[in-house]
Parts: sequence; structure tokens; C-alpha cells
Amino acid sequence: MSQVIVDTLLTGLPLVPAVVGIWMIFRLREDFDLTIDASFATGGAVTAALLAGGASVPTAMAAAVAAAGAMGLMTAGLHLLLRVPVLLAGVAMSIGFYSVDLRIMGVPSVSLVEGSTLFSGFAGLSPGAADAATIAVLGGIVAAVLVALGLFLRTEVGLALRASGVNERMTRSQGADVRALLCLSLVLANALAGLSGCLVVQADGFADVNMGAGTLIAGIGAVLLGELLLRPAGSKVLRTMLALLAGALAYRLVLVGALRLGLPATDLKAVTALTLIVAIAAERYGRPLLRLARRRLEGAAAPLGARAEAGVGR
Amino acid sequence: MLSLHDVHLTFNAGSSAEVRALRGVTLEIPAGQFVTVVGSNGAGKSSLMKIVAGEERPTRGRVQIAGRDVTRLPVHRRARDVARVFDDPRAGTLPELSIEDNLALALCRGRRRRLRFASGRARRELMRERLTPLGLGLDARLHDLAGLLSAGQRQSLTMVMAGLRDPRLLLLDEHLAALDPGTQARVLDLTIALVRRLGCATLMVTHNMEHAIEVGDRLLVMSQGQVIADVSGADKASLSPERLVETIVAAGDVASDRMLIGEAVA
Repeated sequence: MSQVIVDTLLTGLPLVPAVVGIWMIFRLREDFDLTIDASFATGGAVTAALLAGGASVPTAMAAAVAAAGAMGLMTAGLHLLLRVPVLLAGVAMSIGFYSVDLRIMGVPSVSLVEGSTLFSGFAGLSPGAADAATIAVLGGIVAAVLVALGLFLRTEVGLALRASGVNERMTRSQGADVRALLCLSLVLANALAGLSGCLVVQADGFADVNMGAGTLIAGIGAVLLGELLLRPAGSKVLRTMLALLAGALAYRLVLVGALRLGLPATDLKAVTALTLIVAIAAERYGRPLLRLARRRLEGAAAPLGARAEAGVGR
Repeated sequence: MLSLHDVHLTFNAGSSAEVRALRGVTLEIPAGQFVTVVGSNGAGKSSLMKIVAGEERPTRGRVQIAGRDVTRLPVHRRARDVARVFDDPRAGTLPELSIEDNLALALCRGRRRRLRFASGRARRELMRERLTPLGLGLDARLHDLAGLLSAGQRQSLTMVMAGLRDPRLLLLDEHLAALDPGTQARVLDLTIALVRRLGCATLMVTHNMEHAIEVGDRLLVMSQGQVIADVSGADKASLSPERLVETIVAAGDVASDRMLIGEAVA
């Protein structure tokens, strides 16, 4: 059981920034940006290429985040200048950047086993200690990202960003430049996805050109699960950040649990799709069912006279 | 304060679906003047508001606010001077955000937004100070979501938001239309008090002839994209709702407008 949790944290924590980025578009803008799939992979590709080439870890990470953020800016440009819907712009970006990632890495897959990574200093530790240290580093990075973003969303700029996705016309009338805010949200979302790609590559020890496929869909599943678990409201920024963390980890817990139960790795995509469907269904029907069950339980627990007065059983 | 010079607005120009929403509107509204605007559907009232707010750019003509040519400026760059209250109470507030966040957003209107907290103790005090006179208890509900408020409460909140940054021009776009008569009266009182406090120029579009006559200093009647009557002072005070309806109908409007205006008079 404890190994399931360790594996969940090891594989789930690197995905948290991407889930936050996906939430920024999916919930704050009520849109879908498939660039996320590409920026996640490009973040990983840039990290792998630079680390394999001997660059320092901070340099590789900064370059990965910057490249992914620039991809968000490109999607914003396609949307604002050419009037391509964000969804279609994202599709074009995700297709186009497959080739770019191959160019960056030179080969479809790059190993980092011999290179220096965030976690290569833990190689000499026992497996348990290495896992704990890796989780601590990932946890620190994720906590920093969540706190920074939570604070940012409470600033004047962050508030305008939250508002622009809800009611663009009203936000504009309050003096906010919604075009600039759209650019900012796409840059931030993709930069966060790039950071995730960068962390995943270093945690896994390799980068693959296909690693971004399905990131957006998995992220949406994590967002929905998190909302179901913690029910964050619009102005509760801290609670929203915690919900995203919980959602990402819960999503990974399902996949890790499925693997532990003996499911072949080839079936993981099917489990991902199934989890997404369950998350959507649970968001729609889960709360009414829970309320109904609670009412039934309360009705059953009430004394017979009280039940008759309340009309139970009629 | 507000100056429109020969403003035209044409949609789908040159096509069979061409609509001339405004046809050479020229208008001067001095600072502090409260102007009501009436007219049937399609008369150009909303187009006038959109041109002034910056939502539409005139096909021809010039718009100046406080001596500044704003003809080509987008909505957000006019927000320093212009506050607007929409007809739909849901449009002027963000239901998913708290009352405090809604007010904090309005507090930044016309200023460069920075990376500092949108709300703090001083700003919350100001918010409570502005909400208390409403008598709706909203000053004690800053953390509640705006979506929990009734239509009248939300429109009252929007009015407070409009007045937070002392605009030079207040645009009220049929802001009472979606409210029941009792709430209309309360929000209208709030409107008059706000305009008096701000001392700003105000443009209020309404379908209610009594409001158009009783409220404000000047009345504009629009028809087919033009201002066909511009009355103030004793002339305005002597108008009756029936005579106003006759004026609009005589301007050549359609039967459905008679019904609409008839309802307003009733």
C-alpha cells in the first residue's frame, strides 16, 4: 500500500504544474488548448536535449519553461491575429511541434541515465531514501508553483485574469485588456505544462517524442476529480490550488493502483479514458447521489414517529 | 464632456443586409448633465451607447470624452473616464467571484493593474463604506459569491462598482429593464443619488417614458438612427408620457413598437 502512495507521488507530483495550466484554460477561460500536449513534450525535449548536451539543470529547466511559454504565445498569436479558435490553434501546434521536438532531440527518445538531473544526486542512496528525497524535491517545487500561482491570482492582474474568462465584456468595461490577458493565460498555462514535461523527463530518466499525447485529457480528468473532492468556489484561490493537487494525485492513484492490480501497461490509456469518463459522470451525478444517500441514511436513522411525521415511506 | 460629431454607424455596408444604425448623430453633453434617451427598438439607442463605450467604432464621425478624441480607442482604454451599467444584471457582475472580488476589479478601473493584492484592509473598508448606504446588508457579505444575489441586489452592486472610481461619464443601458417595479424604484433612487454624488455626465437609455421625463436634465428621442427631439428644462417637465409616445410613433415606427411603448406607459 505504501509503495502505491510512493509511486503515486513520484509520478503525480511532476504532473501538478500541467494540471494547474490546464485548469487555467479549461476553467478560467472555459476553453481547450491542445498546445498543452505539445508544450509538455517540448518542455521534456528541451530539457533532455540540453541536459544530454551537458547544460546545467537550472539552465535546462529555464529553457524548457521559456520554450513552452513561447508556444502559448504562438497559440495566442494564431487566435488573436488570424482569428483561429484556440482549440484549432492548439491542434495545429500539437501536430507541428511533433516535428520540432524531433529536431530538438535529434532522435525519438533520449536517455538521461548518464546525464546530470535534479535527482541524480540521490543515485547513491537506498531505493527508499532516494524515493523520499525525490518526493521532497518534487513536493518543494510543486508547493512553490502552487503558492506562487495562488498569490498571483489574488493580485490585480490575477483577478483580471480570473474575471476575463468568466465575463469578457464586463472585464473589458472595467478597463482590463482582455487580449493581453488571453496571451498571459496561454503563456502561463503552457509554461506550466513545459515545467511538468521537464520534471517528468528528469524523474523518469528519459524523454520521448510521444510523451505529450493525452496530457490535456488526463489533466481535465484530474481537474474534475479535484473539484469533486474539494469543491473549490470561484474566489477560494487556495482551496482551488489544493483541489488541483488532490485531483492530480487522485488521478495518478487510479493509474498506479490499476498497474499494481496487474493491469498491463498497454491498457493504461484505456484506464485514463475510463477515469476521465467516471470523473465527468461523478461531477454531474456524484453530488446528487451523495445527497440522496445521506437523506436516506438520515431517514433510516430517525425514530419511527419522526419518520412518519416527515412523510418518510409514503 | 461628451461630444459626438456627425457619427454614423453602418453594419454590413454595401450588402443587401446593410443596416444604418446611426445616421449623423451630433451631440454635446456637458459635465454633470443627466440625459435620458428614449426610442423604439432599432432607433439607435444601444448603438449610441456602444459607440460612446467603445464597443463599436463609428463608420464615420468623431467621439470625444473630456476633450480627448477616443474615436479609435477600445473599451478598456476609455474605462478611465467611462463607467457602464448593462441591462442584464448578470452581465455587470461576475457570479463565480465574491462580492469583494467584483468590487476589487472595479477599483482598478482606469488604472494600470499591478502585481499587488487586489484587495486589502483599506480597500475592504472603502467597499463596506460604499455598500452600507444600500441597506441591503451586502457590506457584511463581502465573501459571498455575487451569483447568490438577486437581480436587484446585483444591479445595485453594479451601480456601486460603477461609482467606485469616480467616472466622468456614466452609461446606463436600460439598467432597470430586467427588474420588477419595486426594485426598479429602489435602483432608480440609487441611480439618482449616485449621479448626484459623482456629479458626472450621465446617459440613461430607458423604455419607461415616466422615468425619461421625471429623471434627469435633458431628454433625447431617437428614431431611425437619428436624434429627432432634444428637450430640457420647462419643455421637458411639461411633457406627458402619452405625448412622448405620440412623438416616437409619429416618427414612423412600426406597430410592434406601439405595443412596447404602450406597455411602458401603462
